[in-house]
Amino acid sequence: MNRGWISRNLLLIAGLVLMVAMVSLAGCGSKSDVETDPAAGSGVGDETETLPTETVPEVVEPEVETGPDYLNLDPADYGVEDVYFAFDQYDLDDESMGLLSHNARIIKEAGVTILISGHGDERGTIEYNLALGEKRARAVRDYLVSLGVTVGQLKITSYGESKPFAMGSNEDAWAKNRRAHFERP
Amino acid sequence: MRSFGILLAVFFLSCAILPDMALAQGRHTEVVIEHTGTAFIKTDILIRDLDVLSGGVESADAANLMNRIVANDLRLSGLFLVGFSEENPDSLEYEFTIEGTVEGPLRDAAQTGENAPVTISLNLLSYPQRQLLMNKRYRPLPSQMRATAHHFANEVIHWLSGEPGICLSRVVFSRGSGGRRDLYVVDYDGEGLLRLTANRELNLCPDWSPDGSEIAFTSYREGQQGLFSLNTTNGKVRRIIAMEGLNYGADWHPGGKELLLALSHTGNPEIYRITPEGKIIKRLTVSKAIEISPSWSPGGRDLVFTSDRTGTPQLYIIDSDGAGRRRLTFEGRYNDSAIWSPSGDQIVYATRSGNYTQIVVMKSTGEDRRVLTDRRWKNSEDPSWAADGRHIVFASDRSGVFKLYVYDVVEDTFRQLTFGNDPDITPAWSR
Repeated sequence: MNRGWISRNLLLIAGLVLMVAMVSLAGCGSKSDVETDPAAGSGVGDETETLPTETVPEVVEPEVETGPDYLNLDPADYGVEDVYFAFDQYDLDDESMGLLSHNARIIKEAGVTILISGHGDERGTIEYNLALGEKRARAVRDYLVSLGVTVGQLKITSYGESKPFAMGSNEDAWAKNRRAHFERP
Repeated sequence: MRSFGILLAVFFLSCAILPDMALAQGRHTEVVIEHTGTAFIKTDILIRDLDVLSGGVESADAANLMNRIVANDLRLSGLFLVGFSEENPDSLEYEFTIEGTVEGPLRDAAQTGENAPVTISLNLLSYPQRQLLMNKRYRPLPSQMRATAHHFANEVIHWLSGEPGICLSRVVFSRGSGGRRDLYVVDYDGEGLLRLTANRELNLCPDWSPDGSEIAFTSYREGQQGLFSLNTTNGKVRRIIAMEGLNYGADWHPGGKELLLALSHTGNPEIYRITPEGKIIKRLTVSKAIEISPSWSPGGRDLVFTSDRTGTPQLYIIDSDGAGRRRLTFEGRYNDSAIWSPSGDQIVYATRSGNYTQIVVMKSTGEDRRVLTDRRWKNSEDPSWAADGRHIVFASDRSGVFKLYVYDVVEDTFRQLTFGNDPDITPAWSR
């Protein structure tokens, strides 16, 4: 588990504690809302003064127990992996498809919107690399949709060779830069 | 294998011999360099120090600056050999001379301090007869001095060659790295660098409107590409179009009323004609392949673009209705970024050879292919023509980082246009 995940969750828990406190305070100040709740029925006006402080913690606490905070995490932090491509290619190979099945399960569970960005290595032109990146991002999205991911959950873009992950003019760097990357939009 | 080797030998032999033959012929027939259609002949011109009639140090500075800039402009045009003295003319045989006077600054109540104009009078004369051929008078403020010198140099070039000067032209380009690139503009001589955008995004692939009032460029907002326009008078940016996917490779129509653009919202990059307000006029390509990088012919009737429908990116030409498709390149497995020359007879583009990208010029018929940049230039990309049809700006990482260079098609010479440590890419030369 990387430190980024832990520190982000610590922040999250701290934030929720703060929220509980704030909601409690807010609850104290808005008794009338609760009093007029139809579910409370009629003829129980005498008891309403004690209701807010008892019910508020029950509403908030279950949220603390939920899984990763998908909205505020990078997809890589909850297990979504980038997909790599061969030189000049934008087709998915068997390995990529396997990886995308794994990604699809996580993305469906996460339920958040994800941006798929296409990238290329430094060789060739700025313009054709932007088109290659677009084709790569689109191939990945299309396959994820075919696996049941909601299309509205997946945005795509292409950065071509403009946002390299590895520097250097060698096969190692080039291979790392030909990818479809999953990020928070 | 053997026959292939022989063919190659014949090809290289003919390349080696033909220019020499043309040169040899030239001595007798005055047809010098056949393949460019332009003679190698330069005009010798004498530039005398301007006479400072009044005004002290301000006038002297102005005179000095005018001399320097006009001389540099004439040299950069490729049309002149410039000398400064009659005393030691070396091999120069002057045909013309430039001289003039500076008076100045005229001050009245409203114009005080340094913000007062000088009066500059510049003459073009024949040499040694001293027949007055042209006179220009200017009253520039200090901030207008460079433009004034460029204006006069343009007049001289036009008077003597009939060609439009490019001395007031500028190059817009994209500078930066690490996911952040901003648009910059620089004068054609490398002076007057100015930053145009500062939005912490990628700003790429700029293109001037024909009248220079707008620059269309591709930028990202929240990770999504869009085509934007920057007003060059007030610096304001407006969105032209932002469809899902790619919105890039804009090329303004010579008439200024529409643009070519690559869009991919249908699932695949295709070429479109759009209005400057972002309305789609017509989709020009339909295929499963990548179709990008469009460039109008100077008359605006045809366009050249890139398609990888055969499996590799190659250049094609279609008309403005998308009809009459024909393939233009058959040599090389990767050809892209084509730009039509201002006179329409040539096309410059980028080809990938091995791991490197090189600049190629050929006739717009596809004949006479010439590679301009060899391996010493590492990657050279994104060419753009100057209005004179003689100079090409492109980006090369020969120094280790992409910088802009200018190539003279006639003389086969290069000069560096931009400097510094940040990568400079996708230049576009104004009209």
